[in-house]
Amino acid sequence: MTRDEIKDVILEIIADIDEEADFNNLDADAPLRDQLDLDSMDFLDIVMELRKRYKLQIAEEEYPQLATLTSCVNFLEPKLQGI
Amino acid sequence: MADYQLIIIGGGLSGIAAGIRAARFGKKTLILEQHALPGGLNSYYFRQGHLLETGLHAMTNCAAATEKHAPLNRLFRQLHLSRKQFILQEQIGSEIRFCGRTLLFANDPAVLEAEIVRVFPASIDRFRQLKRTIQQYDPFAAAPWRSTRQFLAETLGEPRLEDMLLLPLMVYGNAEEQDMDLGQFVIMFRAVFEEGFFRPSGTIREFLDLLVQQYLQFGGVLRYRCPVEKILHNGGRVQGVRLADGVELTADAVLSTAGIPETIRLSGWDLPLTRYSGRMSFMETISLLPRERATDLRTNRTIIFYHNAAELKYRRPETYLDTSWGVICFPENFSGQASADLMQIRITNAASYPLWKALSAEAYEVEKKQWAAASVRASEEIIGNYQPAIVYQDSFTPLTIERYTRKADGAVYGSAVKIKDGVTPWPNLFLAGTDQGYLGIVGAMLSGITVVNRHLLQ
Repeated sequence: MTRDEIKDVILEIIADIDEEADFNNLDADAPLRDQLDLDSMDFLDIVMELRKRYKLQIAEEEYPQLATLTSCVNFLEPKLQGI
Repeated sequence: MADYQLIIIGGGLSGIAAGIRAARFGKKTLILEQHALPGGLNSYYFRQGHLLETGLHAMTNCAAATEKHAPLNRLFRQLHLSRKQFILQEQIGSEIRFCGRTLLFANDPAVLEAEIVRVFPASIDRFRQLKRTIQQYDPFAAAPWRSTRQFLAETLGEPRLEDMLLLPLMVYGNAEEQDMDLGQFVIMFRAVFEEGFFRPSGTIREFLDLLVQQYLQFGGVLRYRCPVEKILHNGGRVQGVRLADGVELTADAVLSTAGIPETIRLSGWDLPLTRYSGRMSFMETISLLPRERATDLRTNRTIIFYHNAAELKYRRPETYLDTSWGVICFPENFSGQASADLMQIRITNAASYPLWKALSAEAYEVEKKQWAAASVRASEEIIGNYQPAIVYQDSFTPLTIERYTRKADGAVYGSAVKIKDGVTPWPNLFLAGTDQGYLGIVGAMLSGITVVNRHLLQ
């Protein structure tokens, strides 16, 4: 998966979790949770959805790596190679 | 391999919500419901062509779709249901009526504040201080039990106002007698006085259908008329369940929403049953009458919480029923609710489970009829006479509640002692629902969600 494709997947997952999510003016380098007003339960759903779709196991200590859109892409790029 | 990854005992709101979470993320899940319909405490039944609801008077935690962190909206996101497409109908306004003094409240918290200025002018500053304290309080942080009575006496220092505020919050969500845990009080205060009452459009049936469809769509399996007889365990782990017909089903994990006493009975859990048996149960009488016969009745409220005694007696009564206080609900009095030809009046009073339990079958029918009439008479003192206009009436007692929901002793709010982490001595048996700690419809669903998130998904 390319970096752009990974980015689209993340946004699609968030849009699916939260029908009110607004991606206008989203800063890829600022925390997603603050900008989109997500709580810890929503955040868990992003992790669960990635696990369901790509069989990815993401440990709790790795969650900080999913903080921003850019860090998500950096973290997921090697894991989603060849998908 | 086990037959299921997760078996959920009970198809009530906590069980279905838990099932949606588990099935949504790919767990092979089975819900076992003993009854022929879903909903548990919040279900429905048919009598003479009328759909009658059990439980639901109103849902608490009303919130606009844009309030992202409101419990109702978090609930919808977790269940992957569209909040925008869900139509909610707000209450028209409710009343707390205590020995002739009344306080009105609505979904706009300013209404209650203005009422306190009117009825308890000397207490308004203290009431505002109370609201600030509640706003800053975190009821979900682990904390030892703290007396709400004592907290209110210190904060308000006006016993009548304290009792009036406590009445609706206790009736709609307190398993303890006389006092309540401060954390639970804060949850209920926000749910009732700050967020407020609403109903989903239609009846509880449509709401349950929505939830069940969501569960089935994610691949969950739901079986009705399947009472569980035993939770099977071996070598320190739960293996599955045995049904009343002898069939055994295996599972990687089991989630019980049947309450602590029933889970003790099913599993052989070594806990003192009496400590976990709730004492608060209720009898409810539903009357149907032609709308045109109700013109003289005072029906301009959604819910009236009445209390005729000098001080609040939230406890198991010493008689079959305590009609000196109770709840009068007009289920049609929500904005936008279509009015049927027949209007409903629902009266709820505290009832004594042991007294009802001790009756013979014939005596039970006689007492039920007599106490339903007493309950209606008590409500007539507040809203006017309607007994002669009633075309259909039905009541349920603590025994009905126990039979259909397995809530031991008909205790609708379960045990006064909760097991908030949902953990049992078996590493793969969990509790959700009433006895895990969150109450009401929104609370029950959040309970199922939280326990699955914490113990089964991560």
